[in-house]
Amino acid sequence: MELSNKRWSDACFKKEREKALSLWPTGREVDTEEVIAYHLSLPEEKNYGKVVRKAKLEGHTLVQPRGGVALIDEHIKLLRCLQDEGGADLLPATTDTYTRNMKFHEAQRGIEESIATGRSMLNGLPVVNYGPGKVRRVVEAVDRPIMALSGTPFPRLTSEITIAAGFSGYLGAGISYPCSYIKSMKLEEGIKNYQYLDRLCSYYAEHGVLIHREQPGFLTGTLIPPGIGIAVGVLEILLAAGQGVRHYSVGLAQNLDVAQDVAALRVYEEVCQHYLKKAGINDMFISVATHQWMQAFPPHEAEAFSVIVMGAIIAVLGGATQVITKTSHEAIGIPSMEANAAGVRTTRKAIEMMRKFRLPLDDEVKGEMEMIRKEAMAIIDKALELGDGDVAVGVVRGFEAGAIDIPWAPNVHTRGEVIPVRDGKGAVRYLRTGNLPFGKEILEYNASKIKEREEKSAVNVDYELACYDILEICKPCV
Amino acid sequence: MQKTVILGVVGVDAHVVGNKIIAQALRDAGFNVVNIGTFVSQEDFINASIETNADAIMIGSLCGHGELDCQGFKEKCIEAGKGNIHLVVGGNLVVGKQEWGSVHDRFLKMGFNRVYPPGVAIKTVISDLKKDLGIACED
Repeated sequence: MELSNKRWSDACFKKEREKALSLWPTGREVDTEEVIAYHLSLPEEKNYGKVVRKAKLEGHTLVQPRGGVALIDEHIKLLRCLQDEGGADLLPATTDTYTRNMKFHEAQRGIEESIATGRSMLNGLPVVNYGPGKVRRVVEAVDRPIMALSGTPFPRLTSEITIAAGFSGYLGAGISYPCSYIKSMKLEEGIKNYQYLDRLCSYYAEHGVLIHREQPGFLTGTLIPPGIGIAVGVLEILLAAGQGVRHYSVGLAQNLDVAQDVAALRVYEEVCQHYLKKAGINDMFISVATHQWMQAFPPHEAEAFSVIVMGAIIAVLGGATQVITKTSHEAIGIPSMEANAAGVRTTRKAIEMMRKFRLPLDDEVKGEMEMIRKEAMAIIDKALELGDGDVAVGVVRGFEAGAIDIPWAPNVHTRGEVIPVRDGKGAVRYLRTGNLPFGKEILEYNASKIKEREEKSAVNVDYELACYDILEICKPCV
Repeated sequence: MQKTVILGVVGVDAHVVGNKIIAQALRDAGFNVVNIGTFVSQEDFINASIETNADAIMIGSLCGHGELDCQGFKEKCIEAGKGNIHLVVGGNLVVGKQEWGSVHDRFLKMGFNRVYPPGVAIKTVISDLKKDLGIACED
C-alpha cells in the first residue's frame, strides 16, 4: 500500500486487521460486535473522551498518572490506589517494553518470573499476553476511564486488545513514537502503524463508540523547543483526521520556563485548528495535554515534589485540560503505587488552589506565542510543501531533508542535528537549528537570545552547556 | 595504549540521552568509544567487543528490565572467549524502589565487575574504569 493521508478503504483495513489479530493467539478473542456492545454498556464516567470534553467545557484540568505492573491483580491494586488515594481523574495502563516491541514470548517470561519472585519483573502491563477478557477485569474494578499508554511504534495488536478490553483512550502517534522509542524504523512504517490505530478508532466511532486519541508530544523529553513539539503534534492530528478521527488531544512536555511553557499551551489548539480548517475539517474536538518534566528528575524527594507542583501550576496557567504526572521516585526508576498516588495528589491539590487562574498575556508571553507559532508553521508549511499537499508523504520527505528534526532521538532516520539549549532567562532556544526551514527573523531572534545568556553569565553556549542544561534540574539545590 | 570500550543500552530500551552524554565524556577522558547505541542485544555487545578487541563493555539499562535483559550475559561472554572482559552495568536496573545493596549484589553475582545506581557521577565511573583497566589517573 502506497503511503498517503487518504482514509484506508474498508477492504484494505479489513485485510490489515486480519494480519494484526493473528500476531498473537489472544488477537482471536477480539469480537468486534461484542466490543461495541460492551463499550455502549459502560457509564459515561468511564469514557475517556466524554470526561475530557466535559472538563474542557468547564475549564478544568484533569490529572492523569502513568503506571503499569506485570500482574492483573497488582495492576488493579495500583489503579485503585491512584483513584482513591491520589484522586486521579483518568487512569493509565502503561504496557511493558517487551509488549511495546512485540516480544510477547519475553513478556510471558516476565509474567512467569513475576509470579515466581513475588515482585514485578516487567515495567508495565503485558496486555496482549493476557488478552481482552482478563484485561477487562481492570476496567470493571475502577470507576474512571482508562487510557493505554504504550510507547511503541507497533500499536496495532495492543490497540485492538485494549479497546476490546474496554479502554477508551489510546496515547501514541506515528511520528512521535517511531522517532523516540526505536532505533531504526522508517517513518513510513511508523505512520502506517498509527494510521491503522486511527482507522480502528474511526471504525468504532462509526458504530457509536468513542475512543479518544492522544498524541504524546513530549518526543524525547529533552528540552524540545515548543515550535518543534507543536509542529509534530499538528502533523499527527492531520494524519489522524485523514483516517477519520475527530476526538483528539495534543500533548507537549514542560520545559519549566513558565512564560514559554504557558505560551506554547495557549497557542497549540489555534495552530491545530488553522491547519485542520485548511484541510477542510471543521469538526475536530481538541484538548491540550501537558506533561510534567520528562527529563532527569532530582533524586531528593522534596525537590522532586517541587518539580511536580510547578508542573501543576503551569498546566493551569496554560489552560491545559490534562496534566500527566510524575512522581518523587522518578530519579530512581519505576515508582511504588503509593509514590505514584502522591504525585497525583500533589498535582491535584495545586490545581485546586490555582482556582483556574490563567496567566495574563503580557508582552513576554505574547512574544513567545508569536515566535512559537512562527517556528511551528515554518516546519509544517515546509512538510506540506515537500509532500505536494499530502501530509503523510510530507512527513517522510521532511525528515529526509532535515526540515523536521527531533533532538536527542534514538531513531537513525532522524537527523539529530538540532540541539536545544536554554537562553539567559531559561526559555528553550536552539544551539544548532540543523536544516530546520527557519527564516531570518526566527534565526536572528534565536541568536540574540543565546547571546544574552553568554553576556549574562560570561560562558560559551556550546555542546557541553547543552548537555548541562539537560541535567540541570536534577542537580541538588542545597 | 588507548583502551577500547563498547557502550550501549541493552534490550528493547530507547533511553539514548545519557548514552550520548556518557559516550562524549568517555571520549573526552581518552577512551576509544564504540557506541552501539540503543536496542542492543547481548549478542551484539559481544560481537562488537570481539570485532574491536575491546577492553570493557559498558551496559546501560534505564527501563527497569535490566535484570531480565542481563541474565546469562557473563556466561555468553565466556562462551565467546571473552570471559576476562571488564563488565560494567548501570542505570535504573530494576522495577520499583528496591534496596540498592541487594540490587548491587545481584548484579555482581551475575558476573558484572562494576554496578552503578541511577544518578552516579560520570566522573566516578570514569575514574573507576581507569583504575580497573590500569590507566594512571591524573587527578
